[in-house]
Amino acid sequence: MRLSLYVPGNSWVHRLDPLTKLIMAVVAVILVFVLPGYWASAALLAVSLGVLASGGVLRRSVPVFLGVSLIAITFFVVQGLVYPGNQHPALTLGPVTFYQEGLLLGLKLSLRLYNILAATLVLILLTNPSDLVESLVRRGVPSRFGYVVVAVLQMIPNMAATTGTIMDAQRSRGMETEGSLWTRMRAFIPLMGPLVTSSLIATEERALALEVRGFSGNRKPTFLHEEVIPPYAWAVRALYLAALILAIAGRWIG
Amino acid sequence: MTVIEVENLRYRYPQQAEPALDGVSFSVQQGEFIGIIGPNRSGKSTLCQALVGLVPHFYKGAIGGKVMVAGLDVHQHQVWEVCQRVGLVFQSPFTQMSGAKFTVYDEVAFGLENQGVARDEMVRRIERVLRLLGLWEYRDRNPFALSGGQMQRLAIASVLALEPEVLVLDEPTSQLDPAGTSEVFAAVSDLCRQGMTVVMAEHKVDRIAARADRVLVLHEGKSIAFGPPRQVFAREDLPALGVAIPPVTEVCRRLGWQLPDGTYPVTVAEAVQMGGAARGNHNS
Amino acid sequence: MVSRRYSPWALRFTTLTIVLIPVAVGINYIGKLFASALKLPLWLDSIGTVLSGMLAGPWIGAISGAVNNIVFGITADPISFWYLVTSIAIGLVVGYLAFTGWINTFGRAVVLGFVVALVAAVVSTPLNVILWEGTTGNVWGDALYTALMAKGWPVWLASFLDELVVDVPDKLATVVISWLIYRALPKRLVGLFSGRNEVESL
Repeated sequence: MRLSLYVPGNSWVHRLDPLTKLIMAVVAVILVFVLPGYWASAALLAVSLGVLASGGVLRRSVPVFLGVSLIAITFFVVQGLVYPGNQHPALTLGPVTFYQEGLLLGLKLSLRLYNILAATLVLILLTNPSDLVESLVRRGVPSRFGYVVVAVLQMIPNMAATTGTIMDAQRSRGMETEGSLWTRMRAFIPLMGPLVTSSLIATEERALALEVRGFSGNRKPTFLHEEVIPPYAWAVRALYLAALILAIAGRWIG
Repeated sequence: MTVIEVENLRYRYPQQAEPALDGVSFSVQQGEFIGIIGPNRSGKSTLCQALVGLVPHFYKGAIGGKVMVAGLDVHQHQVWEVCQRVGLVFQSPFTQMSGAKFTVYDEVAFGLENQGVARDEMVRRIERVLRLLGLWEYRDRNPFALSGGQMQRLAIASVLALEPEVLVLDEPTSQLDPAGTSEVFAAVSDLCRQGMTVVMAEHKVDRIAARADRVLVLHEGKSIAFGPPRQVFAREDLPALGVAIPPVTEVCRRLGWQLPDGTYPVTVAEAVQMGGAARGNHNS
Repeated sequence: MVSRRYSPWALRFTTLTIVLIPVAVGINYIGKLFASALKLPLWLDSIGTVLSGMLAGPWIGAISGAVNNIVFGITADPISFWYLVTSIAIGLVVGYLAFTGWINTFGRAVVLGFVVALVAAVVSTPLNVILWEGTTGNVWGDALYTALMAKGWPVWLASFLDELVVDVPDKLATVVISWLIYRALPKRLVGLFSGRNEVESL
């Protein structure tokens, strides 16, 4: 089991350094809130999808988009029904009326949702998380913080891998995991308890092992691998930042 | 040259009434292989951790006495300083994996990056220790995909990359199968032969007896014996104190197969030699 | 006067407490895993954050919460990134109250559970309103939201109650379960995490 959705590859996006991709994602998300109107939002979404496509990961994004489609539907339903600015009816199903204003708001919110998703997927699908973290540590983020984030990525699959065996073991001892709500709730602690306790106890051993490798030294670290920033990365950064400045200026003036 | 000097070391963990170490003194020469044995709760782990400074800096508690290792007064320095001169390997291979690196090669680099070692030097050291521990062909594997014995050798490699003068190991084979155990003992013996000073706490007294230059016996926080294996294991009081002795020695004691200096064989090889000679005498 | 080391706000950043952070995130994840395997109507995805607060105080609790949402935000679920403020708030509150005696008895732990639910709802509501006009994506909560909005209630109040309906059972269960696990831990280990000890001479 791998925690991250990262898809390795060799496209121009992959070869960008992590910081550039972080800038791309952050700027795109800010633009979601700054850009006015539906067409601008749709255009932004198209750009993000374009970047994903050129990275060869558009297919992989589909499950993520589908995953939130339920939330998008609730936007249409809830706002269509009860948005305070509702005036003009659009659709009537029996006793229930959906209004134009609410449905349009639902559209706006859904565009916002998908935009945020698409923008951050550039980071998620096309950047190796440990490269991203190392990139930040190189620029001054404390290395102990970098350790924490990367350690999570390996620790979680390791911990999750043991959960299957724990459930089987407990079931074979007669623990009920199906049935009424109360039965299932009672099963939670015998499953969680031992795993959590042993993980916390192991924390002491982990800390000792890290200590003897100089973890608490807090010195400026060096890096085994070199960071490669392709020349066109600077152009990409400039482009995105320019778009951001223009959008903010446009909003401010208009 | 004395590389470890422990004087009247006393230590008590926080919220405990009894001291874990009660006046331990000994010294170790460069290049020696010292075994530390004793029943459970005798202070073996505490002593190992005291050589690196984890006792007292990690656990706090109350400490007295002096520990000098590789020229450093351990109590006056932080653990990250001491660990450049003294390495410590623990029991569990799994929890010694940093978790922050995805290949064996990078895992060794973890301590080096922390210590700010230059890149060229890092590359040189990593290759050296991986080849030394027989892990060079596994360098692209994920550390968690290794066997127990391999993981433990990786832990040793990671600590060795910091180029310490002394290597301390706290029951490094207790969670390994026999194959893993042999791997670790072989690796440690190799290191010793190349001049590294090694201190190893162990339950497997037969293996210690075969390789150690001297053996330190701990009991309830006190050092009750310190000398070459044959001398130490010849003592009558060890079994009563719960200190394990090599099965071979026990058998020879009961058979009365004593060596000229009053001690008993501590390895099978010695016993076989003796037994052959005894049978030879008997027949002649 | 309370010594600096015993103050709830002391910076307990040792290797041990730092290593606790990824473990706490792992525990959060496992909680969510078991809760969904057992098909419980609760998320139970903050047990690690709560435990880290109980063991090592508000700063570590807050950081565990933040790292939790950051990591899930950049690896699998971008939306959770925005709610890192909520996780931080939970870690802070649990850490502070745990170190001022609010986990000494079961009764107090229950009160703590309600407080955490309240704080989580209060902090999440502005996020919900700014991001998606106040809904939470949870069936029961959103049903309440819809009903209240239909009656003309203000958005922020409907949203707050939407969030509260979801948070009270979940956070109450989370805090009680964490408390039970905390009480069962070896005292020696709890002492190590709390950083209350000092080096003395013999």
